[in-house]
Amino acid sequence: MNQLGIQEKLPFARAMRISIQGIRIRVGRSLVTVSGVVLGIAFLMSNLTSQLILKAVQSERELKQTVDLMQALVKSEIGVLEGKQIAVAVFGELSNADEQLLARIRSGEPAAIRAFGVSGAPYESYPLEKVGEGVVAMLVLGDAEVAGISLGDLTAGMSQKVVLDSVDDRRFEDALDSGVRRELFFGDQVRQRQAELKAAEKQALFRTIWIAAISMFVTVIGVSNALLMSVTERFREIGTMKCLGALSAFIRTLFLIESSLIGVVGSVVGVIVGATLPLLVYGFLYGFPTVLGALDYGLLGLAAMGSACSGTILSILAAIYPARVASNMVPAAALRSTV
Amino acid sequence: MTTDSISALFASAASEKHSGYVIRSVDVKRVYKMGDSETHALRGVTLDIERGEYMSIMGPSGSGKSTYFNMIGGLDKPTSGKVYIDQVDIAQLDPRELAWLRCRKVGYIFQSFNLIQVMSCIENVMLPMAFAGLDAEESRDKAMDILEQVGLGDRALHKPQEMSGGQQQRVAIARALANSPVILLADEPTGNLDLRTGEEIIDLFVMLRDTLGVTIISATHDLKMLKASDRVVWIDDGLVTKVTTPEEMDISVADVH
Repeated sequence: MNQLGIQEKLPFARAMRISIQGIRIRVGRSLVTVSGVVLGIAFLMSNLTSQLILKAVQSERELKQTVDLMQALVKSEIGVLEGKQIAVAVFGELSNADEQLLARIRSGEPAAIRAFGVSGAPYESYPLEKVGEGVVAMLVLGDAEVAGISLGDLTAGMSQKVVLDSVDDRRFEDALDSGVRRELFFGDQVRQRQAELKAAEKQALFRTIWIAAISMFVTVIGVSNALLMSVTERFREIGTMKCLGALSAFIRTLFLIESSLIGVVGSVVGVIVGATLPLLVYGFLYGFPTVLGALDYGLLGLAAMGSACSGTILSILAAIYPARVASNMVPAAALRSTV
Repeated sequence: MTTDSISALFASAASEKHSGYVIRSVDVKRVYKMGDSETHALRGVTLDIERGEYMSIMGPSGSGKSTYFNMIGGLDKPTSGKVYIDQVDIAQLDPRELAWLRCRKVGYIFQSFNLIQVMSCIENVMLPMAFAGLDAEESRDKAMDILEQVGLGDRALHKPQEMSGGQQQRVAIARALANSPVILLADEPTGNLDLRTGEEIIDLFVMLRDTLGVTIISATHDLKMLKASDRVVWIDDGLVTKVTTPEEMDISVADVH
């Protein structure tokens, strides 16, 4: 006769059904509770999405400006590209700006782009001593250190000996006495602005975290309050269940299930609302192709998952206190007919 | 005390039947403390209730009647004195064992029915069976049987709010009977019913006592209920003042209110 052992397991499915029934019957109230979670999570999510969109749009714009600058220098040094031979020396990886610059140069239809350090279909790959032979100018890209290569060797055979470099403190062994003219793609001004942008980004991140924390706090308080009201409302129902032999743990489970259902539904809806709204707003502002094209979907997905999980977890946390109040209630409360 | 040992205790107590009393209370006192002040709700109640008896408890509000009622229903523990339900001293039970006791030994009937509004009749009756560990299929059949017994077989799937007060109280009685309790505790069961429906409930109680041998204890001011019972116990100011049979009390009815 070990039926009490069964009792502990069995009512979970039961509690699940009772909770769902309870939510269904109290649709209005449940919707208010759910909308609390929806608001909190939508707020959080829309903040994160806006940050992502703004960052994407801004970095896209920044990139375009950078490439414009680089192209302007190329144009002023070389003039029309058509039919000319150009050399590219790459140290390290090509940055996005480098790639776009090269794409633009290719579209200017030079006779050839001879490359040192990059391989791949668009470029003809040359060894160090040969890359400069007969070219009008050389672009030095990538921001890795130059290891033991002299500017003289690199520019051997060049007709004009002009080097356009993207890094100002690149150390060639013979930088001063090679007789090569080096022009820099970017001045100090650009660098300074980039640093400022970085700082602003940091500030924005801090603001996001702060706002997120507050919205979560509000969510927790809201759900907790709604559930406490629900406990008071069901005073007699809970007492009755206890009279019928329900364990405190069962009552507690009932409330935790209810709050986690509220949390899941509210979070999912909140994430959808919170992601859609800023996408629409910024879409109309900057144009949908820009926004949708530049967005980092991996980060957006991460933000969505994070928001949904935290919404669910928070609403379960918010239920702990109300659930305890409910489960600590004395069964004799069921006998009070005035509630 | 483990679950096994408590059920064994109840089993042995039931098999011995050395006493015909299903509830025994010995000098039960209950003091509520509110800050510095103490309220003596019960001041030494000694009362034995026989198996299969239909007993009514009377008393004005604030008399300690409800407190005593909670005590013999396993809802509250005495400050001092002993309460035995089916031979088991309830003071020694932990919350889990008290839940066990409430689930299997006592059936509760309330003045305002206290049906779970979100559940249908049959689900209400099945609820205590779920707490007792019965699976859904088994309990559905059993609940249907009980609902038929109280004359509501055709209403099993209705929600409480779709039913009359009398019908709701019958569902509540069916629910109280779910785990075949030895005691039915009814708190003003006819208080929210009109006279005729009240009578039907009283008839149902008498029928249950006669056919199932269940002990019925009800707190009531309803004259018809008092008359149907085997014994009437009067509680006032925390003490049992009078124990009478319905026949003896005709004259004193005026004292009731």
